[in-house]
Amino acid sequence: MSPVLAVRDYSLDYITRGGTQRVLQDVTLSIDSGEVLGLVGESGSGKTSLAWAIMRHLPGNAREAPGGSLRLGDTDLRAASNKALETIRGRRMSMVFQDPSTALNPTLSIGRQVSEVLVRHRGLSEKEAWRAATEALEHVDLRDPAGLMKRYPHEASGGEKQRVVIATAFACRPELIVFDEPTTALDVITGARILELFGRLRTETGVAALYISHDLALVARVADRVAILEKGRIVEEAPADRIFSTPAHEYTRRLVAAVPRPGHRLVADQAQPQELLRAEGIAVRYQRKRLFHAAPPPATDHVSLDVRRGEILGIVGESGSGKSSIARALTGIADYEGGITLDGKAIGSARAMNRAYRKAVQIVFQHPDSSLNPRQTVADILARPLRLYGGDVATIPALLEEVRLPASFAARYPHQLSGGEKQRVAIARAFAAKPELVICDEITAPLDVSVQASVVELLLRLREANGTAYLFITHDLNLVQQVAHRIVVMRQGEIVDLLDMAMLRRGEIHSYTRELIAASPTPVG
Amino acid sequence: MTDVLHRLLRTPQGVLGLALLLVLVLACLLGGALAPYSPETMDFAGRFAPPGTKHWFGADQLGRDVLSRLLIGARSTIPLAVAATFSGAAVGACIGTLSAYLGGRWDEAITRTIDAVMAIPHLLLALILVSTLGKGSTNAALAIAISVAPSMARVTRSVALAVRQQDYVKAAIARGEGGGWIVLREMLPNVAAPVIIEATIRVAFAVMLFATLSFLGLGAQPPASEWGLMVSEARRFMHQAPWIIVAPALAIAATAICFNLLGDGLRDALNPRDER
Repeated sequence: MSPVLAVRDYSLDYITRGGTQRVLQDVTLSIDSGEVLGLVGESGSGKTSLAWAIMRHLPGNAREAPGGSLRLGDTDLRAASNKALETIRGRRMSMVFQDPSTALNPTLSIGRQVSEVLVRHRGLSEKEAWRAATEALEHVDLRDPAGLMKRYPHEASGGEKQRVVIATAFACRPELIVFDEPTTALDVITGARILELFGRLRTETGVAALYISHDLALVARVADRVAILEKGRIVEEAPADRIFSTPAHEYTRRLVAAVPRPGHRLVADQAQPQELLRAEGIAVRYQRKRLFHAAPPPATDHVSLDVRRGEILGIVGESGSGKSSIARALTGIADYEGGITLDGKAIGSARAMNRAYRKAVQIVFQHPDSSLNPRQTVADILARPLRLYGGDVATIPALLEEVRLPASFAARYPHQLSGGEKQRVAIARAFAAKPELVICDEITAPLDVSVQASVVELLLRLREANGTAYLFITHDLNLVQQVAHRIVVMRQGEIVDLLDMAMLRRGEIHSYTRELIAASPTPVG
Repeated sequence: MTDVLHRLLRTPQGVLGLALLLVLVLACLLGGALAPYSPETMDFAGRFAPPGTKHWFGADQLGRDVLSRLLIGARSTIPLAVAATFSGAAVGACIGTLSAYLGGRWDEAITRTIDAVMAIPHLLLALILVSTLGKGSTNAALAIAISVAPSMARVTRSVALAVRQQDYVKAAIARGEGGGWIVLREMLPNVAAPVIIEATIRVAFAVMLFATLSFLGLGAQPPASEWGLMVSEARRFMHQAPWIIVAPALAIAATAICFNLLGDGLRDALNPRDER
């Protein structure tokens, strides 16, 4: 039997102003019916380009090398006309995107969007399609599908929207579905439920799938076979259960080594007992009471926590649990109720934060692209805290050296740096102030695993050299178990669990914490 | 900067706009040297001389050479319009960015004030201002600057609202920076591109508004060879000697088109689109 998808010796170039750039080089892979192939690669490895090549929606500057073929069953996709492709897309192959909030049209109701596919490809009447769409939504475990059909995308949560996208993708019983990082934009528990759903639909429909992700541990759990893509080449392909235990290629070995393993501690020492910062009853509100609207519940509901000198305090929770609001309150970006004490000195409100407090408490943001001003050079960016907090601008090369960047980077602009390099600059900016506490707000989330590992290593080295305490906000439970001394678990603006590593090992944990740990994919083998 | 110029030259609007701009700049800089006659030399024998070898664009009701007057007049028309627009745009951009930075009630107050000012038509606003401040080119330019500022403030505010959400602004707040620094150094450079584009297109309006004010006798005063004033003076002889009115009118139109094309070209050059 011929495979559902067969890609043979496929190469792709992008024509840019800098010349021709090869993004895919002799890619060969095949997916049989009912099989899931995981495709893992770091950013820039060409995995999304391959997805678009299969869907036949390439940008205008893409050039496909002659030779090589893309076949869906018996159809040669490269030879198919636009007209033919219109009936193939959505009918015989479909796609699930990374970000469900942009994959749905905000001006059309969810019902319209799901039933349109059915009208188009299954030739149903509007009424039949509506009924079939409601069934499809019911089938992906959505509560109240009839009500959801009438709602607009902004009236649904991220997880619900991704279920709608999946329902649409499965609606016409396609032969192949391309998943492009479908859980990356969702939090751990929602993501885990989406994967469960995918597993069920797969056994029911026997669809073949190409599952693209940067997360090796996740793919190993979902896929039957895993292909590793490095700079446009497939360097290794192996059954999912073997990829962790016996990686053959050197690049795979590096990827596997970079995956955080909760059992492997990176921090050996203990935190000092003295308290550095205490936050008492912090409540952050984003909207006040209005004439006809009651005030919404606060993002954090009178949360109290303390950080000790040189301690790494992890904060974990799903998105919307209020972790970042704590960071905003502690740095004075958001107004808060409650009290903060630093070194015994009380700070009553965001306005009362003086220079000494701001110097002592620094923050590194999640997205390095947006945390560095694109119109300032690295030297300008680093000079600012030095001037504000009484440092010497001449120490910029030394600062860059400390975060393992060459001194020549001082003259560069942020867009000339990679994501990992930008995050290093952001870390250098925080450390330029010689802080006592650095708040790391999901700083590794947008980075590739290997870059992630080196950034974590850098943070730990800086802590060793300066004795800095960290408030490490993350949704990655595996990572936080490697580095944190104590972990705060948050849900819906409240702290549900505060545990140290000994308690975690003994299993004295809240049921919600247990649920979180179960939902995060752990490397096997 | 050379990068932007390079991209500008790749679009047809950019090339045409730049070429026209070059002609206008040359006229402003070298107008006096290039003009075949003095703009104020009267020649009663040559009144209403049609375009020919002696007077390329003809002569006006006092026998003055129209080409010379146009070349000299460029200097009193274009630089003032450009200066008025860009100073108005700069003020508007600062107000808009400040409004977005402050947010909340301040933002509301500033925006509503802008709305109120914008409810008055440009020309009417300029007329009110000039009639209070007094006639003259400088006051006309000031009036144009003031009428440009509110709409620029609004354009800037919408861009600055997105910039306000960026982490580098939050980082500056967390660092304890003052409001002035955040508005001028962190936010303003990042809203500059749309402001420059918008301002360039508005120069065309400013040239016409300036000409209109002079036409109405509120801008430049005779015997200046400002283009709007030339149109106004030539109006009476439109049927007798159409070239006197056609030449400055075409010059105004060409300037307006030049800045419009330049603005279009800049829009593409400053916002390189995703190639996909």
